[in-house]
Amino acid sequence: MVMKNVKNVNFWQVNHKIKNIFERRGVKVLPSPKAWEKFNWVRKILKEKPKEGYFIWVKKTINLPLEACVSIASLKISQNLTNLLVIEKGIKAKVNAVCNATKNNLYATHKAKGKLILKEGVFLEYNHIHKWGEKDFVSPDYEFVLEKNSRLIYNYQNLFPPENLELKTAIHSEKNASSNLNFVINSLNSKIKIKDTVFLEGKNSQTVVRLKLVGRKNSQIEAMSQIFAEAPGKGHLDCQGLLVDKTAKISLIPQLVCQNKEAQITHEASIGKISEEALTYLRMRGLTEKEAIDLIVAGFLEK
Amino acid sequence: MGKILLKIEKLKVRVNEKDILNGVNLRIKGGEIQALLGPNASGKSTLVQVILGNPKYKIFEGKIFFGEKEITKFSPEKRVKLGMALAWQNPPQIKGVKFSELLEKISILKGSTSKYRFREVEPQLLEREVNVGFSGGEKKIAELLQILSLNPKLVIFDEIDSGLDIKRLAMVAKIIKKELVDKGVSVLLITHLGQILQFLKPNLTNIMVNGKIICKESDFRKVLRTIKKYGYEKCKKCKFLAG
Repeated sequence: MVMKNVKNVNFWQVNHKIKNIFERRGVKVLPSPKAWEKFNWVRKILKEKPKEGYFIWVKKTINLPLEACVSIASLKISQNLTNLLVIEKGIKAKVNAVCNATKNNLYATHKAKGKLILKEGVFLEYNHIHKWGEKDFVSPDYEFVLEKNSRLIYNYQNLFPPENLELKTAIHSEKNASSNLNFVINSLNSKIKIKDTVFLEGKNSQTVVRLKLVGRKNSQIEAMSQIFAEAPGKGHLDCQGLLVDKTAKISLIPQLVCQNKEAQITHEASIGKISEEALTYLRMRGLTEKEAIDLIVAGFLEK
Repeated sequence: MGKILLKIEKLKVRVNEKDILNGVNLRIKGGEIQALLGPNASGKSTLVQVILGNPKYKIFEGKIFFGEKEITKFSPEKRVKLGMALAWQNPPQIKGVKFSELLEKISILKGSTSKYRFREVEPQLLEREVNVGFSGGEKKIAELLQILSLNPKLVIFDEIDSGLDIKRLAMVAKIIKKELVDKGVSVLLITHLGQILQFLKPNLTNIMVNGKIICKESDFRKVLRTIKKYGYEKCKKCKFLAG
């Protein structure tokens, strides 16, 4: 996903500087420290005053997706963001959030704490795209609150991994709330730790979590995927790993914790390597070994 | 008939301490159609995989030439670039990759546009994942479409006639004739049952038993008659065994 026209990006930050804020009718966009100063209710959600980050408050349904972009463009920048997204009752919204380093060797640090509140009956599709350089350190920690009857589709994609990624995601689901989480993560000379946790707190709350992880050269991925069923809800975890290189290692730890006898939670996990037969087949179609691996990996992430 | 395009000399291949190919000799000229018949596990499929450079198989003796070049140690992609192509008997699944994407990739690499010309053959295949849930017949058609996109000089068809009903077999044979044979492309047909030979009439039929080509015969009907009547056992005892 590329932000085609930066003027239409609702929140655009480069390094520590806000380049653009673009509000639409029914959508309030502010730097999060300003929102903290301005709104009493924000101070109740965020206990400490943020240093930087975005605040997006959606009060009306809008047809276009909202765009947020946070980039690092200079050497050794260390971002410490606090983001807050609040969507009012019954609203449908789509958010595309891009976080990236504009060059490959910036030794950037990107820490982000996010809180996303979906009020009653909200439908949100949140596409979270990361693109990092090979020496970066990145640690997003996002918490979603799904009030009753709300629905979340969360797609996290990181095809250009940093050296170090620590990704934490927590979902709190009230009555009839549902979430669909898709994590697609590539690794190359990377150390990646993932922890995603879904709490099924309300009756009939539901979740489906899918992880697709690709272990390339000199990479270690450790993924812990959890569902806690505290109420009679339904959940399913699907963790899949693909080892591309012999120097890569993937650990998948699916965990189901059931505290309600009427809840149904299931999981499946698998780690495989690239099929030698498929690789040879594609090479016999004229693709080089690298092109063949790339095509197989793209297919794995796609399906 | 043109110059010799493929030349295989005394090829020996061993897998897990077992000899699979025991000194295979084969020559195919430009524009020639040859057939290779043999019982199950005689080494036919291993031979064609070795010809195309499958890294799983290690050659411990013998040489392969394509045109003027010795290609014994070439990678599969390099052989394809030179003009060799293999239609697999059991092609593997490539999950998540659309057949049209693969055809497009091949066409870009080879600068060909065959996929557009053959769209009408099985248009629904283009949107499906490569070989995922393909029926036996669909696999064969998909292989043929890829081969045509490769603009080859030599095509090896590994059991192209297995899993095809007579109507589809006739259609496949017609395409092979029109798009390959009539354009001077050499063809090697690997077949167990020999059905495709009725349609494509090879110039020479080879019999392979126990990893060695033991017979070469220009009249394929004679070979088919003999095998139908006596099986491959008769070939083993034949006094005119090829060297």
